[in-house]
Formats: sequence, structure tokens, C-alpha cells
Amino acid sequence: MKRLFPIVLVALLLAPVARASERHPTLAELEGEVMCPVCETTLDLSNSPAAQQIKRLIATRIAAGDTKTQIKDRLVAEYGSAILAAPPHKGFGLVAWWLPVAGIVAAAVALGLGAWRWARAREPVPAGPPLDSALERRVDDELRRFEG
Amino acid sequence: MARSARLAAQGLAIGLVVGLLTLLVWRVANGNGKGVAQALADGEHPTAPAFDLSRLDGRGRFDLASLRGKKPIVLDFWASWCVPCIHESRRLEAARKEYGNRVAFIGVDTKDFSGDAREWQKKHGITYPSVHDGSGSVLTKWGGLPIPRIFFVARSGKVVGELIVEEDLPRYLREIAAS
Repeated sequence: MKRLFPIVLVALLLAPVARASERHPTLAELEGEVMCPVCETTLDLSNSPAAQQIKRLIATRIAAGDTKTQIKDRLVAEYGSAILAAPPHKGFGLVAWWLPVAGIVAAAVALGLGAWRWARAREPVPAGPPLDSALERRVDDELRRFEG
Repeated sequence: MARSARLAAQGLAIGLVVGLLTLLVWRVANGNGKGVAQALADGEHPTAPAFDLSRLDGRGRFDLASLRGKKPIVLDFWASWCVPCIHESRRLEAARKEYGNRVAFIGVDTKDFSGDAREWQKKHGITYPSVHDGSGSVLTKWGGLPIPRIFFVARSGKVVGELIVEEDLPRYLREIAAS
């Protein structure tokens, strides 16, 4: 529970910021989330006429009070979903979001299994049956002779 | 049991890698097709790729295939942010006065806002109908950026040529009007 506390605290602190960003988006943040359709970069990296046209529209819609979702929906209606820098959180777009997570989980499972097997392989081999007394005496004699 | 599970996991991993490689090879080999412009440059005359898009003027949709066998077509890919498109579209508008009854002039407004596109048409006096290809998927099939791109399609539906130099316009117009 103590470990969860910082996570919950950060989430609570960030929630109003995210809500403000949704209700009152800035041109700068949307420029980083929208693609220029002719230069395959985000708008903030492009000064092409097509990018400038979209920047103008975004600025107009922000001034009109549109939310970030409304502005993005309008852009998608005109240009298709490829206009967004990040894939949508629905349909086939979900693959792009969840495939890396699945990959990380699969890699963690594979690593865990490998570590478990490695640890098992290093466990001490159980001792065999005790030597009979004659053989033990002979080994002791040989060792004494070798050391002497 | 452990051995069979390991074999199954290995088989799955190998299958996954082979599948991804196959997908990559297929994608590289096919891509988006070579496009009409490239086919023309290679000396071929492909059939015009069909499209069915909304008209900019809001009067429903336009299906390119509906003109096949009926009328030759001049297809103009443009956008309101494209400065050279103004000159080319005005030339087509002028040519339409001479050929408009024999040839269909169709604009394809691509990667553009439909509202800006309508204003642009009004501002520059472009009256031939246009469709809206916001995502640019139709443009990609015809050769992609840059625009303007102007293609000439014979009555049969075969693409005769693309406008490269100014003189191509009267030459191709005569050719398709006679097709």
C-alpha cells in the first residue's frame, strides 16, 4: 500500500493538468501531436504551406473554444487517422499501443524462466552413497602418501 | 513434457520470425504498387485506378469508373496550399471551354481542407467539379506528391499520359478527345 501511494499521488497531481490540456489545448502541444500531411513530420518540425494551413486551422479552433478531441476529430475527418502522430486508442491502432507492452511482458517471462532454470542447474548435486570403510581407509592412505 | 513445451515455443518463435520476414518481403515487393506516373514513365498505359470520393460541392459522390467507355477524362490533383496548382488549374479551366463537351475535367483536392479548397476554387474561378481526397490515398495510387499532377485518360479507361511540359496539354487533349 505504501508503494502505491506515490503513484496515486502523481496521478492525482497530473489529472487536472491533463483535463486542462484537453479543455484548453495550446497550439504548441497540438503541433507536436499532429502530422504534416506532405512532409511526414509533426507540424512543429515543418513550415510547408500544407503545415501552415493546418496550424492556422488549429489556432482558429482553439480561439473558438474547441477541445483537443474536437480539433483532432475535425482533422481526422478531413485527412484520415494518419494525420495524428500517435495511433488511435481503438481498432487496429490498439496493436501499436499494446504490442510493445506484450513484448516487454513476454521478454520478462522468458528472462524469469531462464533465470529459474539457471538457478536450478546450479543447485548442489546430492551426495552419493557413503564409501565403504575399506575404500575410505585406502583413500586416506593414498592422500597421506601423496602429501608426505 | 518440458521438452515438447520447449519445442513448441521454439517452433512458435521461428514461425513468428518467418511470418514477419514474409510480410516484410511482400511489403517491399508490392508496396503501394508503382503508381500510374511510374507506369507511364516505364512506357506502359495502365487502366486508371478507380476511386469513389465525395464531391467538394456537396453533390454526393463521384465514381471514376462510371465514365469508363463513355468519356475521356482530364484528372487534376491539386490542393489549396499548392501555389503552382493555381496556374495549372486555370489552364485546365480555359481548356474546358474548348473541350468541355467531349472531355470530362475532374479535380482531386488532395491532403487539404475541404472548406479551404472550396474557397480556393471560388477565388480562382475554377468551375470543373472536384472530389476530396483528404488522406491522399488516391493520389498515392496515381504517383504521390508533388502536385499539381495532371493525367489524361482515354475513353477506354487507359491512362494516355501525364502533363510534364506545357505543350503536353493541347497534345494530350487532342489525343483523348479523339479516343
